[in-house]
Amino acid sequence: MLEICGVRKVFSQGTPNEVRALQGVDLKIETGSFVVIIGTNGSGKSTLLNVVGGTLQIDSGVISLAGVNITKWPEYRRAKLIGRVFQNPFSGTAPEMSVAENLALAARRGRPRRLSWLLGAAKRDELRERVRYLKMDLENRLDDQIGSLSGGQRQALTLLMATWLKPELLLLDEHTAALDPKSADQVITLTDEIVEREKLTTLMVTHSMHQAANLGDRLVMMHHGRIIQDFHGAERKRTRVDDLLARFEDVRRADQLDETAAEMLRRVYI
Amino acid sequence: MSLLIGALTIGFILSLLALGVFISFRIFDFPDITADGSSTLGAAIAAVLLIKGINPVLASAAGFAGGFLAGGVTGTLAMKFKINGLLAGILVMTALYSFNLHIMGKSNVPLFGRPTLSSYAETTGMRLLGRSTLRVLGWDVTVTEASTLITAFVAVLLVSLLLYLFLQTNLGAAMRATGNNRQMIRALGVNDERMIILGLSISNGLIALAGALLAQYQGFADIQMGIGMIVWGLASVIIGEALVGTRQVGMAIVGAIMGSVLFRLLVAIALRLGLDPNDLKLMTAAFVFAALILPGLLKNIQRRKAQALHA
Ligand SMILES: Nc1ncnc2c1ncn2[C@@H]1O[C@H](COP(=O)(O)OP(=O)(O)OP(=O)(O)O)[C@@H](O)[C@H]1O
Ligand SMILES: [Mg+2]
Repeated sequence: MLEICGVRKVFSQGTPNEVRALQGVDLKIETGSFVVIIGTNGSGKSTLLNVVGGTLQIDSGVISLAGVNITKWPEYRRAKLIGRVFQNPFSGTAPEMSVAENLALAARRGRPRRLSWLLGAAKRDELRERVRYLKMDLENRLDDQIGSLSGGQRQALTLLMATWLKPELLLLDEHTAALDPKSADQVITLTDEIVEREKLTTLMVTHSMHQAANLGDRLVMMHHGRIIQDFHGAERKRTRVDDLLARFEDVRRADQLDETAAEMLRRVYI
Repeated sequence: MSLLIGALTIGFILSLLALGVFISFRIFDFPDITADGSSTLGAAIAAVLLIKGINPVLASAAGFAGGFLAGGVTGTLAMKFKINGLLAGILVMTALYSFNLHIMGKSNVPLFGRPTLSSYAETTGMRLLGRSTLRVLGWDVTVTEASTLITAFVAVLLVSLLLYLFLQTNLGAAMRATGNNRQMIRALGVNDERMIILGLSISNGLIALAGALLAQYQGFADIQMGIGMIVWGLASVIIGEALVGTRQVGMAIVGAIMGSVLFRLLVAIALRLGLDPNDLKLMTAAFVFAALILPGLLKNIQRRKAQALHA
């Protein structure tokens, strides 16, 4: 279970560029739940995933995972519990190393690295078996540099790497946004399969209303660094793409109202 | 002939330097200039221990250990204290100058008549062959030269094999991945800062070992001997990459060794043709500069040509 309590994060505090990316976020995710996050640009979705993953340290609040308070843990230490796939296909793999080497590195996520061989014969067989499961014809390209593969292939492999050892939490930040529609579909299907099969606790950010309406068992909407809507249970099942679009329209109109109000105040007081 | 053998021997010894530079510059993309200090450190430690009558293999190993520590300090300054990598190297290199003087007690430590790896090689060669000159391909070669060359070659073979095998282990692969994509390796649970510190330690250990062997080959350690080492190492690595044309680990290691040997041959030829030894470092620096900008320049020319064709 992931528990996020009162988390705040401010960028460039005390400068004219100050951004309050997270303004008190509370979120509790049950074990095995698949949560999809949507929200306007700059609403803090990536920041939320980054503070959970440990890429960013928070200003205040508490984050605990599987009953452990991980708020102060550095990123590499959290990786023992968390698997991640990034938006950029280049971020999740070491391009100059082979497919097999990348996978074998991931097969020890969070475990000590010592002087045993990275790739033994038994390991290679296991790798080939798991890669065959992707049905991307990559099992014969295990010795190719992973940088020579397409974005979709790399994202599929990164997903495999992130879940090789079952993580307590899987973080996906728009992991199909940089792909062409066909590859994106492939990676999404794969995501759904793996999450379903392994019963993974998952936090996924997406910009695709289609993905948001069809994936996961809970839907969270963010705006200006806050959670403004949380659909679960029966309500989540009823939610359609049109409902989401309508909700976004509400938010946009409210923002405009805010702006006209601010404009009015400025005219009155300045 | 002895000029050729001398160049080959120094080439092999300094290929350990090239391997060290390969680790810092190529694997980690870390411009580590600790090398100038750590090579002298290795030479100084080995020389002082040899004077004390310590076994040459142990003395060389101690040189490696000294460089290993120095690299660790540079890595720690850069990672833990967030000092710019170049500056961290300069700080340690500068500090090592005083440190090395203290170790040696003076600016030059001669090794006349002391048992060194070179003298070991010589006596072993003499005992095996029972004479002091050989004829190789119609040339007279002293057994001293030949056995020193073979010793240097075997030492490099051993060290580079160990390095290659190390880079195939879980730890070594995590180090390579750190150099390739830090974000990825952190997300896989590796402390990337620790990997860089360890990598710089190994890099400078190798460089110090090169210094220790060089001191034994030339028969003295000198406080000035490290100056320009980093550029020599870079030149070898660049030549090596051009020779093998790949950065795949095994080939890159072979390339660094070949590059170092070829570079030494080129230097020997240039000196033979009358290059002023004082200009050697200038020429090397110019060469590295050219090698660094040439690929980009060539690409530009090719693009212009292509554009001209389209126009
Ligand atoms: N490293 C940073 N330094 C300064 N500001 C940042 C940084 N990262 C994010 N921000 C700001 O914080 C806010 C939230 O950014 P975040 O990336 O979390 O948004 P997002 O919801 O992921 O948006 P998108 O949908 O565009 O990916 C934005 O205003 C952004 O400009
Ligand atoms: Mg984002």
